[in-house]
Amino acid sequence: MTSPHWHVPDEELRRYADGLLAPPLFWSTDAHLLGCADCRSRLASVADPEPVRAGWARLDGELDAPVPGPVERLLLRLGVADHTARLLAATRVLRRSWLAAVATTLVLTITLAHLAHPVVFLMVAPLLPLVGVAASYGPSADPTYEIALVAPLHSFRLLLLRSVAVLGATSVLSVLASLGLPDYGLRALGWFLPALALTLLSLALTPRLGPVLAAVAVGLGWVVLLAGTLPGHADNAVLFTRGGQVAMALACALTATLLHRLRPAFDVPRRIDRAPNTGAGRMS
Amino acid sequence: MTSTPTGVAAVRATDLSLRYGRTVALRQVSLTMHDGVTGLLGPNGAGKTTLLRILATALLPDDGELTVLGHDPRTAPGRLAVRRRLGYLPQSPGFHPNFTAFEFVDYVAILKELTHRRDRHEEVRRVLATVGLDAQRGKKIKALSGGMRQRVAVAAALVGDPELLILDEPTVGLDPEKRLRFRELIAGLGEGRAVLLSTHQTEDVLMLCRRVVVLDHGTVKFEGPPADLVALAHGRVWTGDVRAEGTLASWRTGTGRYRHIGDPPPGAELLDPTIEDGYLMLVDVTAEEGVPV
Repeated sequence: MTSPHWHVPDEELRRYADGLLAPPLFWSTDAHLLGCADCRSRLASVADPEPVRAGWARLDGELDAPVPGPVERLLLRLGVADHTARLLAATRVLRRSWLAAVATTLVLTITLAHLAHPVVFLMVAPLLPLVGVAASYGPSADPTYEIALVAPLHSFRLLLLRSVAVLGATSVLSVLASLGLPDYGLRALGWFLPALALTLLSLALTPRLGPVLAAVAVGLGWVVLLAGTLPGHADNAVLFTRGGQVAMALACALTATLLHRLRPAFDVPRRIDRAPNTGAGRMS
Repeated sequence: MTSTPTGVAAVRATDLSLRYGRTVALRQVSLTMHDGVTGLLGPNGAGKTTLLRILATALLPDDGELTVLGHDPRTAPGRLAVRRRLGYLPQSPGFHPNFTAFEFVDYVAILKELTHRRDRHEEVRRVLATVGLDAQRGKKIKALSGGMRQRVAVAAALVGDPELLILDEPTVGLDPEKRLRFRELIAGLGEGRAVLLSTHQTEDVLMLCRRVVVLDHGTVKFEGPPADLVALAHGRVWTGDVRAEGTLASWRTGTGRYRHIGDPPPGAELLDPTIEDGYLMLVDVTAEEGVPV
């Protein structure tokens, strides 16, 4: 027995449009909408039209042919293979906004180094690639993480590729920032080996802790190490002496070996934390 | 694409189990999949996504036997062999918004080891045409509608013409018209390959699937043809003018009358069951928000 003049109430249509209606009421409403032009028409009026309008407005301005973005163009000019350039172009940390944030942090740190002591710069600069690498891999940072995980290209290779790119980009900016400490000579580059060691250690801890927690743990460890090796005066910061730099080089070699041994652990994670569901696809 | 030989299962899983800490996500799940579309139904939290992730080699089971496309995904060579012949659309797929549809699919093609530029671009154009996005390939992802984005994600899954296609709720968030179009697309994809389709839409299963698996609380409640799922509710579905208490489920339908599953309420008339009724006989939908029982 049917009631041909029955229609879905407005409130239920609104909940249907907002995705809040649960089965089986959802199915019934769905089935009714397929056969009822009136209700479909009312559905359009109760649904929020703004996203649709905005989408059409953007559509008009887009070109049809794919044109590489600035990062990809730069990488291609530097001789990077086109498929590698495309993989790197998807790295969030290589976007201009991120690089601008790194540059700003370095400028502020150099200013502080001038006001306090040059060693401030050496202490802060190693943390920048650590943050960058943590923000370029994993389910929370990479919207295509799950697709990449089950692709034949090994996840470890993709992670290394991105990490090298992030380390390279932040290192170039940090070297430029080091020029702001002309009186400090080559010691102004003392951040590099700690940066490399911290990044490698963070990567080695990633399969167990995840990229963010690994970076936080390593960052805190760096602070503790600095506090323990920074006696009375900043001029005696042992990590940035010749002996300290040799120790850092050894740490790099050790962590690189550890990371190499752990590479199979990147192939299948223990679990995949569900990323926030925003309906028709996530963006990053 | 080379489909799996006739009679050889694309997926054969026996007693798969997985725990997240103290939570049991899957408990002794067994299923077999051949060519054609297989539907995976189940309420939220039933373990559908976990099962799909295991079959797609994104997670490893704690226990059980598993063969996908003839390989054991618990070994590294087995995983690589499966990944080279797999298409996977995760639930709520993510995109790099500054990419165009073409660039995004191109990116996934590179992940699938298609490094030769000209061949890769040809493949990208082919899969975008397959999903009907030929004209939109130069548009930015962020400018596409939800339905088009889903098609882009399906196109990415189709790169390399996979033998096994795993689609995790591809129609979520789409309006009825777009869902109908999507249904046509998936029906075409199921010809000559194995497709596992996770969905909340029982109608999708009825229209598309040769077989259906119902998962609830991490266990398989049903595996068989959709008609057998419908048959579970024979003689248990009723209609009346008022809501009934004490039935398995009772809700007002698109006709304005109430539909009841279970024992007959007073004055109710017997109805022919649908696939939804069979599904509701099996799962604990009362746990889902807003179900009027």
